[in-house]
Amino acid sequence: MAGRESLWNALTAPLIRQNPVTLQILGICSALAVTTSLATAFTLSVSLTVVVVLSAGLISLIRRHIPNSIRLIVQIIIIASLVIVIDQILQAWFFALSQRLSVFVSLIATNCIVLGRTESFARSNPPLLSMVDALGSGLGYSLVLTVIGACRELFGSGKLAGVAVLPLADEGGWFTPLSLMLLAPSAFFLLGGLIWAIRSLRPEQAEPPEFPPHETGEAR
Amino acid sequence: MTRGLWDRETVALLLLAAVLPLAVTWLFYAGAAGMTRLVFVLAVAGFWHLVFMLARAQPPSVAGALAALAIAVLAPLDLGPIPLLLGVSFGVVAGELVFGGWGRNVVHPAAVTLAFLGFGFPAAPWPDLPVQLGWSAAAVALLGVALGVMPWRVVACGAAVLFAGRSVLPLETPVLTAAAVALVLLVGDPVTSAATRLGRWLNGLLYGALVLLFALGWQGAAPVQIAVSAAMLATLAAPLLDELAISLWLARRKRLG
Repeated sequence: MAGRESLWNALTAPLIRQNPVTLQILGICSALAVTTSLATAFTLSVSLTVVVVLSAGLISLIRRHIPNSIRLIVQIIIIASLVIVIDQILQAWFFALSQRLSVFVSLIATNCIVLGRTESFARSNPPLLSMVDALGSGLGYSLVLTVIGACRELFGSGKLAGVAVLPLADEGGWFTPLSLMLLAPSAFFLLGGLIWAIRSLRPEQAEPPEFPPHETGEAR
Repeated sequence: MTRGLWDRETVALLLLAAVLPLAVTWLFYAGAAGMTRLVFVLAVAGFWHLVFMLARAQPPSVAGALAALAIAVLAPLDLGPIPLLLGVSFGVVAGELVFGGWGRNVVHPAAVTLAFLGFGFPAAPWPDLPVQLGWSAAAVALLGVALGVMPWRVVACGAAVLFAGRSVLPLETPVLTAAAVALVLLVGDPVTSAATRLGRWLNGLLYGALVLLFALGWQGAAPVQIAVSAAMLATLAAPLLDELAISLWLARRKRLG
């Protein structure tokens, strides 16, 4: 059975050190699409975390019974069923929010983080450890989405979670909203800047250069 | 590249000397407001060059002043200092300095800034360039080509397409003025334009064709907006055009054995 230390490590490693978005560059599609406001980013984060934790637990429970040749199909069926449940719950109780998230809740089924954790970890580890590991990955994804969503909403519309924070110039304040922040490229810029910042602070994450830059005259 | 006198800063200084006619003409028309704007952009760009010199030992370049002039001339008007600060910082850092400074960048920092400001603040009006600025751009092109610091194929082909288009299509003078200014300030940059012979011809051709296309088909676009968008797309396509030229050359070599 896993010790307390390895559980703690499985939970905290994916937050920054092994973050699925900033280190492994997974789940970028939804990270770009739903981060125009904090509310949608947070909802998708919670949905994904729930799905990844439950599917890791379920798959880990039946890991000795899954035939190896059809394991991906079994995993996807389990993940997709959970996604449908989450989608229905959102539509039942948070209808407006689910409309704004449009197709992206259903697309959790294709999110690389979910299948990655179940395929590489839950398939060969006991349920508790798998679920803690999945929770760590989900929280790491949520952390990045929340940060980017907060930045985009704050600078794109001067609000945070729907509450006006920066007074808009149209309404007599001083802040001119940056419409670029509401377009998809800004998420790329923010994510790139975030990855740059993290890798500057933790140089061990940086990949080795693919080829050395040639010497130039002025560099001598 | 260092050959005797010719290092990166020589090229940058000669380019700066070549754009002086345009800078003087523009300052004459823009007056004190233009001067303030130019000094502000220069200060922001210089600050980032300084930061990267201290943090990464990256030699600063006089070419920062070229980008600053292009931004001051072409950026939308009525932006407060904070949007301009954001745009210039983004363009100079993400367009040039993170790649290792002038000479290693893929896109022109001024083009990145202008795209950022154009998309970020769509309500801000684009400047109207006086027609004399277009004539000064011709002087810039002549000087740059004569000094050997501007790729003449790009400039010549771009200008040829524009004038050919004007003779057959209803191209208005403001569009032509803006296109000429963007041609010498953004497209004719020796770093971000194509580097092969065929690539340079194609680069100029693409820029001219895009200006004509936008001028005819883009309803409600300002002349400077048309020119800057065409310049941005032509700059982005430059590596592709080079790749094309190199592939063609390799294929011909293979066929000839």
